[in-house]
Amino acid sequence: MPDIAQSPQPKILVLATLAGGYAGADSTGQSHLDYPANTYVLPVMCPVMFPPEFFVRAFERGIDGIIIMYSGTDSPYKVEADGTAKLINRTYQLMKERGIDIRRLRLAAICTVCVKPFLKEVNQMAELLKGIGFVKNELASRNASAQGAPA
Amino acid sequence: MPDNDKLKIAVYTCYCGGNISDVVDCEKVAKAMGSQPDVVVSRTDMSLCSDAGQSQIEQDIRELGVNRVVIGSCAPTLHEVTFRNALIRAGLNPYLYQHVGLREQDSWVHSNDHAGATRKAMHLMKAGIAKARLLHPLEPIRLQAEKQALVIGGGVAGLRAALDIAQQGLRVVLVEKSPFVGGRMAQLEAVFPTHENARDLLRGLIKKVVNHPGIKIYTQAEVMGVAGYVGNYCAQVIQHSRGVTEENAEALLSACQQEVPDEFNYGLTRRKTIYRPYPGCYPPLPAVDWDNYQGEPISLNGGEPIVLEDVPTSVDVNVGAIVVATGFDPYEPRQGEYGYGELKEVVTLPQLIRHLALSKANHALEWNGHPVRDVAFIHCVGSREIEGVDEPHEDGRINNYCSRVCCTATLHTTEELRQHFPGLNIYDLYQDIRTYGRGHEDYYRDALLGGVRFVRYHGEEHPQVTAASAGDTHPVLIRVKDSLTYNEELEIPVDLVVLAVGMQPRQIDKLVNMLKVSRGTDRFLLEVHPKLRPVETAVNGVVLAGTAQGPMNIQESLSAASAAAAKVVALLGRGRVELQPFVAAVDAEKCNGTGACVEICEYEGAIAVQTFTENGKEVKRAVVTPANCSGCGACVAVCPNHAINVQGWTLSQYEAMVDAIASDIPNMAEVA
Repeated sequence: MPDIAQSPQPKILVLATLAGGYAGADSTGQSHLDYPANTYVLPVMCPVMFPPEFFVRAFERGIDGIIIMYSGTDSPYKVEADGTAKLINRTYQLMKERGIDIRRLRLAAICTVCVKPFLKEVNQMAELLKGIGFVKNELASRNASAQGAPA
Repeated sequence: MPDNDKLKIAVYTCYCGGNISDVVDCEKVAKAMGSQPDVVVSRTDMSLCSDAGQSQIEQDIRELGVNRVVIGSCAPTLHEVTFRNALIRAGLNPYLYQHVGLREQDSWVHSNDHAGATRKAMHLMKAGIAKARLLHPLEPIRLQAEKQALVIGGGVAGLRAALDIAQQGLRVVLVEKSPFVGGRMAQLEAVFPTHENARDLLRGLIKKVVNHPGIKIYTQAEVMGVAGYVGNYCAQVIQHSRGVTEENAEALLSACQQEVPDEFNYGLTRRKTIYRPYPGCYPPLPAVDWDNYQGEPISLNGGEPIVLEDVPTSVDVNVGAIVVATGFDPYEPRQGEYGYGELKEVVTLPQLIRHLALSKANHALEWNGHPVRDVAFIHCVGSREIEGVDEPHEDGRINNYCSRVCCTATLHTTEELRQHFPGLNIYDLYQDIRTYGRGHEDYYRDALLGGVRFVRYHGEEHPQVTAASAGDTHPVLIRVKDSLTYNEELEIPVDLVVLAVGMQPRQIDKLVNMLKVSRGTDRFLLEVHPKLRPVETAVNGVVLAGTAQGPMNIQESLSAASAAAAKVVALLGRGRVELQPFVAAVDAEKCNGTGACVEICEYEGAIAVQTFTENGKEVKRAVVTPANCSGCGACVAVCPNHAINVQGWTLSQYEAMVDAIASDIPNMAEVA
C-alpha cells in the first residue's frame, strides 16, 4: 500500500483556463468551500499550448495528479475543445509508454461558476491518489522493472 | 535568462485584512520566501492594495533596485491591474510582475487546515518567484486604428449600437441583410413593460440613425469577407439592387402580380415580390425580393413588359471594430409538434401577435373565421428541451436553454386578450413562470387575479394536443397532467392553441467562420467572459450586441448594444488600439520554418512562414502578426524546435512553476 496516509500529501496540479476553470476556482473560494490543500491551481489561457512531454515531465518531477480544467465547447478559443481532447489522447499514449497511470491526468469542463463540479473533480482526484499513491513510487517501480529488478 | 545575476525580486504576502492571515501564517511565508534565491526583500502587509501598501512597493523598486515583483493576495481579477500600475509609477515595466492568488484559492478554501494552507501558500509563492525570474519586459501591442466601425445587423440592437458609436464621434457602416431596417422588433405591437408601440419606438431610433451624418446604411447587403485585424479590418460588402426607383416604385408595386407568404406576418398573409413590409418602414422605397422574384415581366401602364434585374455592387469598408448584431429567429415548431402544421387551430405566439394586429378592428377574437371562446397557451416550445425526452433537431441538438422572454411575452399577450376580449377563457400551460425582469411579475399576478387558469406540466410529460372528435364543442382537445392538482389528468377543449416559441440563433455559419468567433453549445455567439469581458469575443475588435449572443428582451438587447458600442468607442476613440502583449513570439534563432505553427493556427493571418535572406542564404522563418494572434498557444505545442511561445505565458515559465510546486520548501518543517 502506498505511503499516502503519511505527510506530505500527494500533489494535485490544476491547469485552469482563465475563461473557465480558474474563475471556477475563484468562485469556489468565494463560496468558502473547502477542498484538499495539496491542490495547486495555475492559470492558463488555453491548454492546447502544452505538448504531451510537459505533462510527463511534471509527473516525473513529482506532481501526482493533473486536472486540466478547460472551457470545453464554451471556450472563446476555437481550437480549445477539439485541440485539448487530441492533446489528452496523445498524452495518454505517452504516459502509457512511460509507465504512468493515465488516471493521473484528467480533463474536465469547468465554467466560471462551476463550484460543485470543481470540488467534485478535485476530490475525485484526491481520492484516486489515496488509492494509487505517489507518482514517484510508480516511476521507481517502472525503472526497477526496466532494469530487471523486482518491483 | 541572460540577466539572472542581476535579478532583484521583491515578494509581498498580503494579510488582506485578515482574510488571508487568519488562515495562512503570512509571516512564515514571508520568511521562507525571503530565503529564496534572487529575493532581495520579502514583506507582509495588512492591505497591499491600500495607498500605503502600494507606496511600499514603489519605494522598494526605487530604493532597492527591485526589478521583479511577486505579490500574494486576492484573486488577480481584482488587483493585478492595481499592482501593475504601481510598477509603472515606480518606473518598472508592468509585465515584470507576478500575481499569486492566496485568498480565493488558499485561505478561503482551507480554513480548517492552517498548516496545509500555509504550506500551499509557500509553494504558490515559490512558483510565482520561479516564474518571475523568467519574466521579460513586454510592451502592449499598439496599432493605428480606423475610427470607423462596422455594425452587422439593422435590428434594434444594431441600430442602437450604431447610434451610440456615432454619437461619440466615430463613423459607422451599418449592413442589413434584408431590404428594411428594424428587425424582429418591427413585427411586435405594444411591448412590455411600458406598453409603448414597438414600431413607434423603432421609428424614433431609426430617424436618429438615418439623420446622423456619421452613419452609412447598406440594406439588402451582406458582409462577404473580412480581412485584417483589430483597428484595421477590411470588410467586403455586397449590396443587391433595390430593383425600383423613386420614379417607378409605386407603379411597379401596383403592377406586380406574383405573391409569396409574407414573413412579416409569419405566413398568415401573402405579399408581392415587390413590397414594403409595413407602412412607415425604412427605407420607404419598396424593394424587390430577389429570392422569390423569378424574372416575371411586369407591364407598366400598358407599356412594354420589363424584367427587373439584380446587379449587386461591391464595396470595401475599412473599419477598426465590428459589432455583430445578427439577432435571432423564433423557433419554428416541427410538423406535428403540439399539432403545429397539422391542426389549423395551432399557432405560434409571434403569429398570434401579428393576427391580433391584423384584426384589430374586430370586437371578438376570431381564428379562421370562427369565434374563439377558449384559448390555451403552451410555454417552453422549443426551449428547455430535455435530452432523451425531446426529439433532436436537424443538427442533432436540442434547445436545452431557457429563452427567457417568452414567459413575460405570453403573459403580456394574455393581458392584451383579456382587455380586448373580456369573455375569453384563457388557459396557461407552463413548466415554470420566469418573469424575471423589473415589472414583469406584475403580468403574472394580474393574470392570476384576472382569471387566467394556470396548469403546470412537467417537461418530461408534454401536453398532448389533438383534434377533437366530431361533434365536440371545440375543435381541439388538450390532455395534460397538472402538477398543481397532484397530477390530475385534465382535458381542455379549446378553439385555439398558442405555442410560446423560444428564440434560436440565426443561421450565420458563413459569418461565424469569416470572423472566427466562437459559438456556445446553444449555438448562440459566445462572449469571452460574462462578467469579466461581457460582449467581447475572443477575436480582438469583434463585439456582440443583442440576441446574437442569447435570448434577450428588447431592454436587454439595448443594454448589450450600448455595452458593445462603449467597447468600440473605448477601443477606437483614440485612433489607436493597445492590446495585451500575450501573443505568440518566435525565437528567430530556433525557428527553421517548418510551418507546423501555421498549419495548426485557427486565426486568419496570425502567423505565416516567410523567406528571408541572411548572409547570402535564404532562410524560412515563422512571423507572427500580433494583432491577429489570440494567444491560444496551439502553435507552441506543435513546434518541433520549441521556437515559439506565448509571451508572458511561456512553457519554460510553466515548467519552472511546476518544479517549484513539486519541490520542497527549505524550512517546511517549521510550518507543518
